[in-house]
Amino acid sequence: MRGPARILILGTYQRSEGIATKFLPLVWAALWRNRTESVLTLLAVTVAFALFGTMLTLNAAYERAIEDARMDRLIVACAFDCGVIPMGFREQLARVPHVTGVGGEMWIGGRDKDGRLAIMVMLVDEGMRAAWPELPLSAADWRALDASPAGIFLTRTAAARRNLHIGDTVPVDDGKGSTADGAGVYYFTVLGFIAAPPSWEAGSVGPLGVPETIVGNLRYQQHWGRPDEQNIVNVMRLAVDRPEYARAVCRDIEARFTNATPALYCVSARDDAEETAEANINMRQISLGIGAGGLFMILFLSANGLAESVRERLPEFGILKAMGYGDGRIAMLVMLEAALPTLLAALIGSALAWAVEAFVAHLAAKGLINMPGIHASVAAFAWALAAALLIALLSALAPLYRLRHTDVAAVVAGR
Amino acid sequence: MSELRQIAAVSLIGIGSLRERYGTALVIVVGMACVVGVLTSMLSLTAGLTRAYLRPEDATRAVVWGGHATFDQSRSLHPDAVATILDAPGIARGPDGEPLADAEFLMRLLSMEGFAAGSLQLRGVGPAGLALRPAFRIVAGHMFRSGSRELLVGVGAAHRFGLGVGSQVRLRDGEWPIAGIFSCGGDIIESYLVGDALTVMAARRRAGFAQVVAQLTDPSAFPQFQEWLLENPALTVAVERKTDYDLRTAGKDTAFFTRMTFVIGAIMALGALFGIIKIMYGTVRARTREIGTLRAIGFGPLPVALSVLVEAALLGALGALLGTAIAWAIFDGREMWVGGAFRLRVAPFLWVLGLLWALGTSLLGGLMPALRAARLPASEALRAG
Repeated sequence: MRGPARILILGTYQRSEGIATKFLPLVWAALWRNRTESVLTLLAVTVAFALFGTMLTLNAAYERAIEDARMDRLIVACAFDCGVIPMGFREQLARVPHVTGVGGEMWIGGRDKDGRLAIMVMLVDEGMRAAWPELPLSAADWRALDASPAGIFLTRTAAARRNLHIGDTVPVDDGKGSTADGAGVYYFTVLGFIAAPPSWEAGSVGPLGVPETIVGNLRYQQHWGRPDEQNIVNVMRLAVDRPEYARAVCRDIEARFTNATPALYCVSARDDAEETAEANINMRQISLGIGAGGLFMILFLSANGLAESVRERLPEFGILKAMGYGDGRIAMLVMLEAALPTLLAALIGSALAWAVEAFVAHLAAKGLINMPGIHASVAAFAWALAAALLIALLSALAPLYRLRHTDVAAVVAGR
Repeated sequence: MSELRQIAAVSLIGIGSLRERYGTALVIVVGMACVVGVLTSMLSLTAGLTRAYLRPEDATRAVVWGGHATFDQSRSLHPDAVATILDAPGIARGPDGEPLADAEFLMRLLSMEGFAAGSLQLRGVGPAGLALRPAFRIVAGHMFRSGSRELLVGVGAAHRFGLGVGSQVRLRDGEWPIAGIFSCGGDIIESYLVGDALTVMAARRRAGFAQVVAQLTDPSAFPQFQEWLLENPALTVAVERKTDYDLRTAGKDTAFFTRMTFVIGAIMALGALFGIIKIMYGTVRARTREIGTLRAIGFGPLPVALSVLVEAALLGALGALLGTAIAWAIFDGREMWVGGAFRLRVAPFLWVLGLLWALGTSLLGGLMPALRAARLPASEALRAG
C-alpha cells in the first residue's frame, strides 16, 4: 500500500478508535443512565421504523406491479357491457399496423372439486407466444399444452392451496349448460408448475382481480364449451413493435372497430395497470404519508428524551468543556447519543418490517388478501437509515444550541 | 377528605404542574395526534365512500338484477322480465299510479381525450329513476330530452374529466352532446353520465337492462317482494335490499383498506404506548417529592395512581382532538376519485372513535407509571431529588 493511502487509512482507523475509546463509553453511560426509559424510547422508535419500512415496501410493491406491466402489450376487449369478442377479429387485429402478435384469452370460472375454493382458469391460444411472451410458459410447456389441450399449468401456491400434484385431475364446475354436454364441468389435468406473470403476483393487476395464475389451452374450451360460446374470447392480447406506438395503435383499433359488433376498446397493459391502481383504494396512495406520520410521532419523543438527558447532565458537559472539549467534539458526543438508538431502532424496525412483509406476502399468496408481490427492499432499508440519521440530527438541534450557549463556569459551579 | 376529593385534588395538582412540564406533555399530545390523525384520515375515505353509495332513502328500496347473486350487473334483464318485476307486490306507486321502480343499465365508454377507456360510465335511467332520486338537480344546462341524443354529466365526473355543457361523448353510433350538469347530494351517480335509458339502449343495440331499483311501500314489504320474485318461474333474478347492496358494493372496495387502517392504527398506537409509558415514568420521577409530600400528609395510593392516569388520559384526549381536527381541516369534504367521485368525510363517529382510541392507549400507557407512583414509599419519596 502506498504512503498517502496508508496514512489516510491509518488516520481514519486511529480517529475511529479514538471515538470508540473516548466517546462510546460516555454515550453508553448516558444512554444507560435510565435504562427503563431508554428501552421504552427504543421500543417506540423501533415500532415507528417497522411501520415506516412496511409502508415503503408496500408502496414499492404497488409501483413495481405497475412498472412490470409493459407499454408494448395491449389488451383488447369489447367496449360496451364487457362481454366477449369473436375469434374472427383476430385476423383483422393482426393486420393493424405495428401489431406483431395477437392472442386470445378466455376465463373459465367455478368451484373446485369439493366446492370449497373458487377457481379461475385462464385459457390462452398459441398466439400468446408472440402477443404475450412474458407469460411464463416455456417451449416445452407449450408443446405439452398442445399435446394435452385439457392440461393446465399453475403456480405452486395455487397447487398447494388445493393439494394438487402433477397428473391430478381438476374438475371445474362452470355452471349447468356451459359445456357441450350441458353438465357444465371441465376436467383439467395438472401438467406442471409455472411462475406468475410479471406484475401478476397475487393478481393485483390481473383481470377480474384473480388471485392466482392457472393457465390452460383455449382449444379445450373451443371444443368442449357451449356451442354458441366456442368461437369467442374475453380479451385479446396484442404486442406492438414499439412501446411509443401503443396508444396510437389503440386509437386505431378503436376507430376501426367502432361500428363492429361488438365495438372494441383497447388499452396498453401499463395504462391498464395504472388505471386499476387508481380505480381501487389501496395503500399505494397513502403509504408514504403513513410512514412519515409514524416518524413524526417519534421525532418529538426522541428530541424530548435527548433534551432531558442533556439538561440533567449539564455539569458533565461543563466539565468536558473545562477539560478542553470543543463545540465540535461536544456536538459529536450529543449526535452519537441521538443517532445510536435511532440507528439501532431503524435496524430492528427494518427487520420487523421484513417479518411483517413476509406475513403480508404469505396472506397474499394464500389469496386471503389482494396485494401485489412483496419483496424485501434494500432501498427501504437505506431510507430507514437515512430517516434515522435525520431524526437524530433534528433531535440534537435544540440540545446542541443550549450547550453552545452554556456558561461553563456557571454549570461547573452548580449555578 | 374523601377518596373522590383526594383524586380530584391530586389530579388538579398534577394538571396544574403541566405548565412546568409542557415539553414532555407535548410529546404525548403530538404522538397521539399523529396516531389518531392517521387513523381518522384513512377512515374518512371509507366513511366518504360508504356515504356516496348509501343514501338515507335506500332503507326502503330494493335492487333486482338478472342471474345469480354474485354476478350483479353482468347479466342483462330482458324488458319482459322488467315488466314482470314491476308487477311484484310491495312496490310503492307514484302520484300517477305507476310503480316507483326504474330499470337501469350501466355501460363503460370508449376512451377519448380526457379519460381512459372504461373509467367513465354511463347510466341509463327512466322517468322513475329521477323520481327515486329526490336530490337530483340540474346545475347547468338543461335536462336531456327523451328520444334525443343528449346526455347529462354528474358534477363529480364533470370535474374529474373536464366535461361540460356542449362537450361531446363518443358512443357506438357517434358523438353525443352533454346537455347539462347535475348534482345529486353526493350520490355516487354524480360520477356518471346519465341518459335516457331507452334512447341510449337503442344506440347501443342491446335490449337488456342491468338492474331494477324499486321503491317499496315500507321496509317490511321486502320479504314478500323478494319471495315473489325468487319463486316466479318466469324469472331468474337476484334481489337485495338497496342498503345491503350498497354496503356490499362499497364494502368490496373498502373492506381490505379498512382492515389495514386498523392494523396501522394499532401499530402506531403501540409505538405511542411505549412513548406514553416512558413519558409518564418520567413524570412520576419528576414528581417524586411532590408525591411523597402528598402521601405524608395523608393522601392514599389510589388518588395518586389515578392522578397519573387522569393526566395521561387528558393528554391523550387532547392529542386525539388535535389529530382529528387536523384530519378534519385537511381532508373533510375533499373530493376524491376511487372508481367514482366522493368526498372524504371525517364523520362524527370518527371523532368518537379517535377519542376512544387515544383514551385506551393513554390509560394503558399510564397504568405502570401509575402503579409505580402508588407504590412509592412516602419516606423514600421525600428524600428523593
